[in-house]
Amino acid sequence: MPYPEHRHMLAWTTVRRERMLPETAVGVTNVVRGKTVNLRDVVARGSVPSRFLFIDAMDVLRLRTPDELDSLIIPEIGEEVVEGQVLAGRRPDKGRRVFSPVNGIFVYAGEGRLIVQETPDVIDMEAGLVGNVVDVYPNRGVVIEAYGALVQGVWGNGKRVIGALRREPEDGLEGVFDESLEQRYSGTVLLTGRSLKAISLSVIENQGIGGVIAPSMDPTLIEQARHMQAAILLTEGFGDMSMSSRLYTMLEEFVERQVTIDAIQPDRWEDVRRPEAFINLPARSGDRPPPPRVGRPFRVGDQVRLTRAPRAGSVGEITNLPKTPQLIDNGLRVLCAQIALVTGESALVPLANLEVLGK
Amino acid sequence: MSAILAADFGSIHTRLILLDVVDGGYRLIAQAQARTTAGFPYHDVGVGLRHSLQEISDVTGRKLLDDQGKILVSAEMPGSVQELAATASAGRPLRTILVGLVPEISIASGLRAAAGTYVQIVETFSLSDTRTEEEKLNAIVSSSPDLVLITGGTEHGAREPLLELAQVIHLALRLLERPRRPVILYAGNSAIAPQIREMFGDLTKVFVAPNVRPSLEDENLDGAQLQLGLAFDAFKDNRGGGYEAVGKLTRVGILPTAQGYNLMVEYLGKALGQNALAVDVGSAVSSLSTYIGGDVFTTIRTDIGQGHSAYDLLLTVGQEAIRRWLPFYITDEELVSYAHNKSLRPSTIPETLRDLYLEHAFLRAGIQELVAATRPAWEKVIQLPPGDSLPAFDPLIGAGATLTQTGSSGMTAMLMLDALQPHGMITLQTDPYGLLPALGALAHSRPDAAVQTIEESGLERLGVAFCLSGQPRAERPALDVKIITDDEQVEQRIDGGHLWVYPLSIGNEAEVEVRVLARGSSIGDRRRIKTRVEGGAAGLIFDARGRLLPLADDVRRRAMQMSTWLAEATRSTPRDIPESWLQAPDAARVAIRPGRKLRQLGESAAPADESRLDEVVNKPEEQEAESIRNALS
Repeated sequence: MPYPEHRHMLAWTTVRRERMLPETAVGVTNVVRGKTVNLRDVVARGSVPSRFLFIDAMDVLRLRTPDELDSLIIPEIGEEVVEGQVLAGRRPDKGRRVFSPVNGIFVYAGEGRLIVQETPDVIDMEAGLVGNVVDVYPNRGVVIEAYGALVQGVWGNGKRVIGALRREPEDGLEGVFDESLEQRYSGTVLLTGRSLKAISLSVIENQGIGGVIAPSMDPTLIEQARHMQAAILLTEGFGDMSMSSRLYTMLEEFVERQVTIDAIQPDRWEDVRRPEAFINLPARSGDRPPPPRVGRPFRVGDQVRLTRAPRAGSVGEITNLPKTPQLIDNGLRVLCAQIALVTGESALVPLANLEVLGK
Repeated sequence: MSAILAADFGSIHTRLILLDVVDGGYRLIAQAQARTTAGFPYHDVGVGLRHSLQEISDVTGRKLLDDQGKILVSAEMPGSVQELAATASAGRPLRTILVGLVPEISIASGLRAAAGTYVQIVETFSLSDTRTEEEKLNAIVSSSPDLVLITGGTEHGAREPLLELAQVIHLALRLLERPRRPVILYAGNSAIAPQIREMFGDLTKVFVAPNVRPSLEDENLDGAQLQLGLAFDAFKDNRGGGYEAVGKLTRVGILPTAQGYNLMVEYLGKALGQNALAVDVGSAVSSLSTYIGGDVFTTIRTDIGQGHSAYDLLLTVGQEAIRRWLPFYITDEELVSYAHNKSLRPSTIPETLRDLYLEHAFLRAGIQELVAATRPAWEKVIQLPPGDSLPAFDPLIGAGATLTQTGSSGMTAMLMLDALQPHGMITLQTDPYGLLPALGALAHSRPDAAVQTIEESGLERLGVAFCLSGQPRAERPALDVKIITDDEQVEQRIDGGHLWVYPLSIGNEAEVEVRVLARGSSIGDRRRIKTRVEGGAAGLIFDARGRLLPLADDVRRRAMQMSTWLAEATRSTPRDIPESWLQAPDAARVAIRPGRKLRQLGESAAPADESRLDEVVNKPEEQEAESIRNALS
């Protein structure tokens, strides 16, 4: 029995999310298992190794052999140094000396040279969720469990933001210019049902909008979007695609709530995470919502999203699962499901073009 | 119990076959396919493997999993499968730094050795590199390599220059934290192998292979390729995704899928005494393995794929290479959006006719790019036919879901003929269940099982294609065909520019007489052929379109050609291309020009199921520009 692709769209669920420093980072975790964290809490702090700088100490100190350098080195290997700090010399206060050209870490001495690794920028990894720490990876990050609404998209611009969810103005995102209270969108996450165009990105940037949940975007804007501060989450794809009305309606219910947009960019080599929006919702006592349902084959009754034209973005329910491949309109013969769409229409859709919503 | 399982983990699908002894020889007993589960939400390839095992269990009644879902593989345990072999093409390729003395010699050999494995060359260092040591060190660190392949020096040749090149790698490894250190594969002058081991042994894992360039005249890639396979396995183990657990169930670990193709294509070529070709178009990675003139050549391309790499494919081949296979106009924006969306949802398949043509245009262009990339290698062993013609290969084997899972053998056969454009009389086969890579992996431990299986069962036979070379005149008689079977005699005249398929099924034979009528044309240099052939899932395919394929430049004519060919290959009624698709959109080529965005201002798209948002009528361009100026002021 075939197993489905997952892209979750759930109004009330439990999620577990890793908050990890980049793989190349060196850092520490700041919390312990069981701790409750808030959106802005820093759960791990670290830095990514940066540029190495070589210093020809033999030349500066006018040494005859590399071995002479050993006794002239002042800091320990691995020690943090600041720009202008003396690294080697017969005396630290006068005479010929080698100075650190940058703030960094003194990493190597040998063959008559010194190597300093520049200090990188510090990365503060925020929790991004209100929840409990259920696992800790020392020096890397944590796993947080949280309750709320989850919407997974298809593309993100690599940014993460937390902000209040707002509906775009009636006349669209571009209408933010005409608002007398422009500031009311600054730092918020806007929900739009329309495809993003160049003018949309200009508005987002100029008005300091924190993030956008949109169905699609003109593909020529990808590079521009990647360099923006705001987080952009696309739910459908590229081109002029519309947002599923069911998804739009679901998100509308959470307007004015804090939403975390984790707009990760898909990696074509490793499909580890999906870009997503998560809205924390308070759990009543003992009311732990079920996690997204995974690990079972397609079944009649599954709620699914259709992913390809002519019904891309539509949502429906599986009513039948024929066991043999079916001939579809374009001449392919593939395994399909019969779907009852929310419009009342029924459609035969290839299983490959269905994503279960996790319910 | 003699049963053997072989699994191939692709980016989208995990394919599994069960072999067992029947009548004294190994045969293919069952096959299954499930979604690969290396990524979200499972992060464990073992889950997809279990799904396929369950499917085979259901079909065969054999117990392949215990009650806890543990895979039953053991040479000793009664009732379990004796062995599991595994290959993989899924996941990120090995980021590799290539070190060698001279670009044209050791670096070139290193590149050829790496061609059989999924590697991405991220940096190259040779004696001609003019960067400072500091620049080299930073280049190594910032490229985050998984592997450093060191080649260089002939046997009894240079030592010191190679050791000097290795020093900067050594320094980089010392400065990197242990988990970030790449493994070393040394395949240079064997005289300094001990020094390389000593230099790197405390820092990381070191693989040593025979020198890829023992002399200036000789090249020896086998040892390095095998070690690369082992390095690939070690890399997979470290990347998570459950590969390590699966690898432990195998004897030699998880080998690169393309290596499996190489081994089996070489075997088939040698066994048949003919050149053989296998093309595997995957979602993220594609490969072309050929046995030609006694040598095996492989091209692996991480920028050619139908799913994850669809956008990279578009960038690589260019938009015109796709458009030439489309029977309609398409704007730059639609084409680019299509590629991006396919990359985002790589496992989806086309539902509309327009999307089907797009999908197959990417497939044809991708295969043609693989062939073009491999041609220089073929030139070294044979005299290539003029132009872009394909050298003589028989059989041609196609793999990858887009090619093999159309549900129509005729469509698959036509796609192979379009993309490869072979000459002469050729057997077309497909490998829908990844049999070749699986048997290739098995060949290391159980060559008997691999050989018996491929000889007795295995590949799906599409049929035999009779391909006319030259440029037969369209709509003029090009071939006369007479087919005699046990049941009937059929005579058919085929005009130039057309295909004709006779449905002779698998296991049935026919006498076939073909006479070439078109001037200047032939089928494999012959004007008359009389032969006895076996059919296939598609049947006997007579391709009188000529070579190179006379695809019309004019979209309207191309639409007529392509819909006719598809109908002829699938023995169905032609599907007309909608008139609206054939209207050249004035704005089509304007899509990426500056100013296009101005025209898009105000365009809106309603939610999919209802018109939630108001449609805004496009304003005249000047008005729009004015609106933007006002808005931005």
